[in-house]
Amino acid sequence: MQRQRKQFNAINAASLARWIVLTAFLAGTGLMYVYCSVQLYHLGDRKKALETEIVNMRAQNEVANGQIAALTSRSALQRRLKEGYLKMIPIAEQSIVRLNAPTGTLGEDAVQPVSNQRAGR
Amino acid sequence: MKWNSRIRCALVCLAFTLLFSVFSFRLVHLQMIKHDEYAGLAAEKHVYKQTIHADRGTILDANNEVLAHNVPGEIVIADATHVNNKEALVPLLAEHLQLPAAEIAEKLSAGRRYIVLKREVPQPAAVELRQRLREASLRGIYFERDSTRIYPNGSMLCHVLGFTDFDHKGIQGVEASMEEYLHGQDGYRYIEHNRAGQEIVTYRGQERAPRDGYRVQLTIDLNLQHIVENEIDAAVREYRPEKATIILMRPATGEILAMANRPHFDLNQRTQAKPEQMKNRAIIDMMEPGSTFKIVTAAAALNEKKVRPDTTIFCENGVWNYGGRALHDHHGYGAMSVQDILIKSSNIGAAKLAISLGEQKFYEYIRRFGFGERTGVELPGEIPGLIRSPQSWSKISITRIPMGHEVGVTPLQMTVAMAAIANGGKLITPRIVKSVTTADGEMISEFSPSVLRQVVSEQTAAQVSAALRDVVSERGTAKGAAVLGFSVCGKTGTAQKVDPKGGYTQGKYVVSFSGYMPAEQPEIVALVVVDDAKTGSELNYGGTVAAPIFARIAEKAARYLDLEPHEEPSKPVTAGKVALTKASSR
Repeated sequence: MQRQRKQFNAINAASLARWIVLTAFLAGTGLMYVYCSVQLYHLGDRKKALETEIVNMRAQNEVANGQIAALTSRSALQRRLKEGYLKMIPIAEQSIVRLNAPTGTLGEDAVQPVSNQRAGR
Repeated sequence: MKWNSRIRCALVCLAFTLLFSVFSFRLVHLQMIKHDEYAGLAAEKHVYKQTIHADRGTILDANNEVLAHNVPGEIVIADATHVNNKEALVPLLAEHLQLPAAEIAEKLSAGRRYIVLKREVPQPAAVELRQRLREASLRGIYFERDSTRIYPNGSMLCHVLGFTDFDHKGIQGVEASMEEYLHGQDGYRYIEHNRAGQEIVTYRGQERAPRDGYRVQLTIDLNLQHIVENEIDAAVREYRPEKATIILMRPATGEILAMANRPHFDLNQRTQAKPEQMKNRAIIDMMEPGSTFKIVTAAAALNEKKVRPDTTIFCENGVWNYGGRALHDHHGYGAMSVQDILIKSSNIGAAKLAISLGEQKFYEYIRRFGFGERTGVELPGEIPGLIRSPQSWSKISITRIPMGHEVGVTPLQMTVAMAAIANGGKLITPRIVKSVTTADGEMISEFSPSVLRQVVSEQTAAQVSAALRDVVSERGTAKGAAVLGFSVCGKTGTAQKVDPKGGYTQGKYVVSFSGYMPAEQPEIVALVVVDDAKTGSELNYGGTVAAPIFARIAEKAARYLDLEPHEEPSKPVTAGKVALTKASSR
């Protein structure tokens, strides 16, 4: 009996609790470290994906700018004018401010001097 | 027994201590002493310096119209050592890259690790190819960022803009001269890859952002350029010349508003262009200017007070023997005023004016007008022309140079000289670049007008100007240059073409007209040069070929620039071809 009692080890609750807390803390820290690392990688991937998206959008923007420049270029507009997609309306007679009244009928390809004081120089 | 067990324990402990000490020493050795070496080796395996490409700057006209810009594309590269299924890869690449399958197969057979299959692949095509490769699990094909330089206006302004090579380095025109500004600075980033070759963003190292190229704004006005291009095309259709050049400039500031040459080429298809089409003849072609050069002779004589505008000079009735050689006028003239020498374009009169100056003085004035030196315009390859010093002149040079023979000048030099007369005698450096800014509009550099020197006095310039005004009249050689409502000043030039074998080519002429308007306050100065116009010899003169082209350009430019007409329109002048009689055309 005595022997049996001697072999019995009493559990030190306080010490056990301390160890459990310590272990839990260490485990928690480890898990948090792993979680943070995974998050970091995950955020890195997202960052990379966003960067790629921005680069692609910028590229699309540049392509669109290029298309705008090509479509609004003088040669393109000239072509569209020839094809009849655009129409230019000649300046109406009443919109021309003349310094001197025209002295007779001008030929078809004659030069008509015009002046518009309001126009910026 | 007890002793032995203690010894054994101690020995085991000692062994462990020694073992861990060895480990510790090894760790210290690796971590501290060999750290740099092994870190370097590890970095070599996993760390890469990734280049972040900077975009080349755009080129704009004076009204911010885009003249040159970039469109993103990709370079398709193959690593032959990584290719896993060549048989499947070749037809797929051939289909998407629009290249012959045999060519791709041959390239891949080389076995190299870096094979450029195609450059400037449009982004949508690259994205699709990438997807198809992934779907078919084909390896060994990689993509690098690239861009294509696009010129939205095609052939318009081709000689001024120039173009870039495969490495996006400017090799002609403004692309070359402004390379320093247009070319950005590439950035870099140190990155680490995992085993799959993907970047580990967390381990990014040092990074430097790229600096995109600056925006270069030209003085060229695309609307005026369009007017000039249309007219030069019309002239080419009508006269089928070997070459033609037109320059439009603002005399007060030296800004070049338009510049066109023929033959020309399409900037977007430059690989198909022939060398002859690529020359910017306005700055690299030397020509004998002919009678337009008489403005230099007259201005020099008037400035040196050797003559007055009304001084009478006997023009030998059309033939003058000097130095054992006869000098002819196109029409026999008797006594004429200095003003009339310019108006009628008398060779003999001009020669006598130069003789009154003397060789050295005349040479000095030629140089003062900027001939024989580069104008300094921001375009590459400009030549200084050819002006010989009086020491190497022949006996008759003093009679030939005043009428624009025996000298080699560029069309731009001639325009600048005419601008000096328009500008009250001030020689201005021509400019084609207006400013350099960042993409956000921050000013980097602004080019302001620069007066090189006062070539002749204001009074002399006004006297020459008055004579040039009469050149564009019924009395003068260039009535076809008249613009209704405006007073135009100018001078015609007709020079026989120089034969490369020596002497002159019969029946071939370089005809030109250089002028400015309005005479009271010049806003534009223009030069029209037509080389070897295919027209009847009785019509192949500056006054009949080049002057009407000038008139049409000046008239349209005046409308565009909203110039106010000063002269009362007396009678309409048709802006078509004006046929002049032979007698009044030189």
